[in-house]
Formats: sequence, structure tokens, C-alpha cells
Amino acid sequence: MAMMFAAPVYAIDGDQLLRKVDRNLNPETYESYRKLINEEPDGRKREFILFTVKKGNDRVTSLFLSPASEKGRSTLRLGENMWLYIPNVGKPIRITSIQSVVGGVFNNSDILRLDYTSEYKVSKVDKSGDQYLLHLKAKTKAIAYDKLKMWVDKSASLPTKVECLTEADMLIKTLYFKKVKNFGEGLVRPSVIETDSPLYKGYRSIMIFAKIKARDLPDEAFTLNFLPRVKSLR
Amino acid sequence: MKGILILAGITLWVWFFPFPALSEDEYEFDLSEIENEIEKKPYNLGGFFELKPVLFALDRDSAFYKIKFYDKDEGSTLEQYNSGLRLEGSYHKGIAGLFFRTDSRLWYGYEGWDGDTTLLEGYLALKPDPGFALEAGKKVLLWGKGYAFNTVNFVSRHKDPDDPTEPIEGYYLAAADWIKSFGGPLQTVAFTPVILPVTKSINDPFGEPDHINFATKIYGLLWDTDIDLLFFTGKSRTTRYGLDFARNITSNFAVHGEFAWLPGFDKKSIDSQGNLYTEKSDILKYLFGIRYLTTNDITFIVEYYHNGAGLDQNDANNFYRAVDRAYDTYLATGNSSELNRAAQVSHGSLGTFKPMRDYLYFRAGWNEPFDILYFTPAVFSIINLNDQSLSITPELLYNPITNLQLRLRGAFLIGGNDSEYGEKQNDYKVELRVRYYFD
Repeated sequence: MAMMFAAPVYAIDGDQLLRKVDRNLNPETYESYRKLINEEPDGRKREFILFTVKKGNDRVTSLFLSPASEKGRSTLRLGENMWLYIPNVGKPIRITSIQSVVGGVFNNSDILRLDYTSEYKVSKVDKSGDQYLLHLKAKTKAIAYDKLKMWVDKSASLPTKVECLTEADMLIKTLYFKKVKNFGEGLVRPSVIETDSPLYKGYRSIMIFAKIKARDLPDEAFTLNFLPRVKSLR
Repeated sequence: MKGILILAGITLWVWFFPFPALSEDEYEFDLSEIENEIEKKPYNLGGFFELKPVLFALDRDSAFYKIKFYDKDEGSTLEQYNSGLRLEGSYHKGIAGLFFRTDSRLWYGYEGWDGDTTLLEGYLALKPDPGFALEAGKKVLLWGKGYAFNTVNFVSRHKDPDDPTEPIEGYYLAAADWIKSFGGPLQTVAFTPVILPVTKSINDPFGEPDHINFATKIYGLLWDTDIDLLFFTGKSRTTRYGLDFARNITSNFAVHGEFAWLPGFDKKSIDSQGNLYTEKSDILKYLFGIRYLTTNDITFIVEYYHNGAGLDQNDANNFYRAVDRAYDTYLATGNSSELNRAAQVSHGSLGTFKPMRDYLYFRAGWNEPFDILYFTPAVFSIINLNDQSLSITPELLYNPITNLQLRLRGAFLIGGNDSEYGEKQNDYKVELRVRYYFD
């Protein structure tokens, strides 16, 4: 309904607003600890804890801290290249953005998310009550979702909801940003991201941020050879 | 058989009547609880317990059955009950870290109880800087991009193509690792030199003893393509050169390849009398592979592997004829010495992993079909292109609860007389693997 009354906003520079959203969500270079929870329709849950570091526009690496069956696995993303390192296997293997290393509704591009501005351009901004509605278009075909609709709280410049769409406007999933928390050093952002999907009816995945803080990181931490040693960054 | 049926029953129960649901409409979490879980400890100990009953259906006319069971009659099927404990531990202090991984196995089969413990890895690592690491001890350095096969694994043992994600035993070595990142099309360069000594008691399966061997790997991420240049030299094995690559063509389609050049390699052959002999030969090994993910989350892996050092069909025919003659001699005279000699020959030839020239590997795995989370049905096949024999292995992998993994698998071997899979000891095998991870 809100969409029907959304009005184009010409005074807002959409890309500038998206950059602001990015910086409000996390420092450009940071470390974080997250818990991922997958919920099934019957209420069963599966939990994962990840340590993640990100640097600049296109580099993210994550390490599984739990459960025991996943512990020590690490992932690396350099732009649209992604690898998974499984200690037993002993060497990184290439994975794709639309797969999921944890199962459930979050895929690899959600878990190893880059800044929105590094993957998307704002094609249109609508005003929708006390929110802006940003229409985002992927910069390349390699991006997991071709289009995003992002609802942004006007006063906080933080997303409240993101719909992920195919090129044909089919809804793949919806992300809900909740429970704004002060993480210190001026970072105030949602601590919980929930997602559901019409493709996984009744399933829900939740990402809970426990810590996020700016951290200077060496470039070499984002390389294939370093993947087995990611835990040394903790 | 009864034990296998009980375990299969438990598995099916867990599959179809999963653990009670913890129904709740709204999640709750306590950040301090998460903070406790993420607290870094200097030590770590974990691993898994495993139970694995296996049922083998024997091919009583095959060459390998004759070699192994010529003086026994174990019927048409065999059962083996395996249990295992994998332990992994580490301790870190400052820039130093100690790491180990062991495998302990206990099994009961037609020969009774037996067991062993293997140190897969155990090494000291020094990491003074994110761009530099030094490691010494028993370690696996898996080189190459192949999924089921590798041609450039110059300093590691061969992995099992039927279970390529299982860890293998390392060699005692010392390795350094320098990494440098750049902007532009060349994003990363890494240099990994390795020293691998071989004595009569250390690394003796690697090759000729009393030599120190050297290997290097130079890695580059260039234009979004992983490229490795590899080199090995030493007197324990002949010098060899390698190159591998991997690249995502699209977000759901990746290609990889490996080439290895082994000049003056001691290539094995089998003569008409069933004797193993070697002759110097320049050998090329290579593989190409693809990995493709469909929109409904089915991953296809296809890999073609050419082993220039492999046996050809003449060698295989010579071996099988020699086994037939040895078995006839045993039946006529009771003398098993020729069969024992054939067993010795097989250890360095047809009894090893994928011993012949050309293979095709195919795997299709469907991730979480029908919205069943943590469930992956898959089927894979390894085809010997030289004799058109093959194995087909369907499997069901399911993690019903956190840290519990169930795998049900059947391997069916198809091939005529004198073919690799037709002359294996088994017609098929069925196994159930139950693993519980802990830390």
C-alpha cells in the first residue's frame, strides 16, 4: 500500500544516501562477531557463530567458531570470487554467491556481504512516510540479486527492510533490520537481521551481531593462503 | 548383518521422525551468552566419534577376490563394523601454535578385531606476521585444484577419489609461506618453499631414503583466476613441474585444471609373466574440471583425469592372466607363492587408487531438496575410460541435529572380465556412517 503512495524524491542523491547507509551499518574496515540462527517450520533451530573481518570495498573473510561440526571452516570473498576452506579438505574450494555455507535462507552473499555501494547503484528514490524507498540495481550480472528495494529510516539513515529481487522482479527474500543497538565508537545500528523467503515457506534465518568495531587489517589477511590462519586474527 | 540392520533402523527413524521441535514464535537471545561463546581460548580440543558398519558383496570370480580369499570361504557377503575417534587440538601462545590431528580406528571383520592410531598431522607454526608463516612437523600440503584427482600434489599422499574430502596423512616437512597483496589485476602473490627429508624411518613411503627434497609453489590471483606454478626436485623422487588454475566463469560456473610434467619418471609396467618393471619415461599428467550450480541448487562436478604414468590395458591384462595362472596353480598344487607374488605386484600397481590412464569423475549433489534443511542426496561415478568399467555411488547425507551427521552410501561396481572395476573384490558395498562432533 505504501508503495502506491510513494512519491519520487528528486532532491535526494540516492547514491550518497546509500553510502551513508553503508557507513552507518559498519565501518569500511572492521571485525565482527555474529550468531546465525536457522529456524525450520516445526521450530527446530540450528546456530552458527562467525568471526568476520572486512576491508575496503570488496574483501571479507569469515571463520566459523561453532558448532563443533563447522568449527575452523573459513570463507573468503574478493569481489565476486568466493572460496570455502574446510580444515579436513585442506585446500580452499571455489563456491558461489547463491549457495549457502550454513544452509537456510541466508546465502553466501548475505553472509559475506560487501557494502551496498560496491555492488549496487541507486536507480530511483521514493519517499514513503518517514522512510525513503531506494531502488537499487546491480552493477554487474555476477551480483547475487539483480535488484533491491531498500526502505531507509529518514532520521537514522539505517535500513529497516530490504527486498531482494530477480531481474524479472520476482521476490527472492526479504531482510528485516531490527533492534538498534549502540556498538560503541559512534556505531549505532540494527543488531538483528531477520530474513524469510517465499522460496522457503515457513523457514526463517536470523543474524545477531554481538560485536562490531573498526579495525585496521593487513591486505594479506584476505588471501587464499591465509584462509587456514584466519583464527590468528582473533 | 543384525548390527547393520539395527543401525540402519535408527538412521531411518531419525530421518523420518526427527528430534522433538522446540516450537517458539519469537526468538530470544542474550548477547552476554554469545560473548561467552566467542571468548578466545589459547587451547582447543575437538573432533568426532564415528560408527561405520559396512556390508560387502563379494565377486568370487574376480582377480582381487582370488588374491585375498584363495584359501578362505567367507560366503558371498562380508560385514565389517568400524568405529573411530578423530581428535584435533591446538595450543597458541603469542606467534607460536601447536596443532595435531589423529585418527584412531577399531574394527571387527572376518579376521576378528583390529585397530590402529595414526597421527595425520602434528606441527609447530610460527606466524610473526599475517604475510609470513613458518611450519614444521607432520603436515598435509594439498596442492592442486582438482576435486577427485590431483596431478600436482608433489608433497602429499594421494587422496581417495571415492572420499576426496576426507583428510589424509601428512609428511614430515618444513614450509614457509610469504603472501603479498596488490591492487590491480594481480591481487595476490604467495610463495611457499618446502623442505621434505626422507630417511629410513621418516617419510619412507615418499621415496628413496637418505635424501633431502625441495619443492615450491608460487600462487597468483590474476584477473580473478587462481594460478599456481609448482616445482619439486630431490633424489627421493624424480624432478617434476606443475601448473594449475581455477576460475569462476559466472557466479554458478567454475572451471579448473592441472598439468604436471615428470621427465625421466620411473614408469611402471607389467610384463606377460605378471612381473612389475620400470622404465624411464617422460610423463604428462593433466586434468580438467567444471563445477556448475543450477538454480534449484544441484551442484554438478565433472573432472577428466589423464595419468600418463598409469598402467595401460596390456599391463592390466598381463596382471589378470598372471592371477588366473597363479590361482590355477594353487588349485592344482596348493602352492600359493604365485598368488602372494601377484598380491605384491598389485600393491604398487592395480591395487592403488585409480591406477590406469584415463578417468572421468561425475558428481551431482542436490542441496536441501524439498526444503529439507541440512540434507544432501548425491550420486557420483568414476569411469575408467580405458576399459569402460565404472563405479556408481548414490549417497544420502543428513545432519538431523547440531553436530550429528548421518551418511548412507552404496557403491556399485560395474565392469566385465579384465576390467578394473570388474576385477575388484566386491560387486557392491553398502555403508552407514554416523558421526558425532564435539568440542
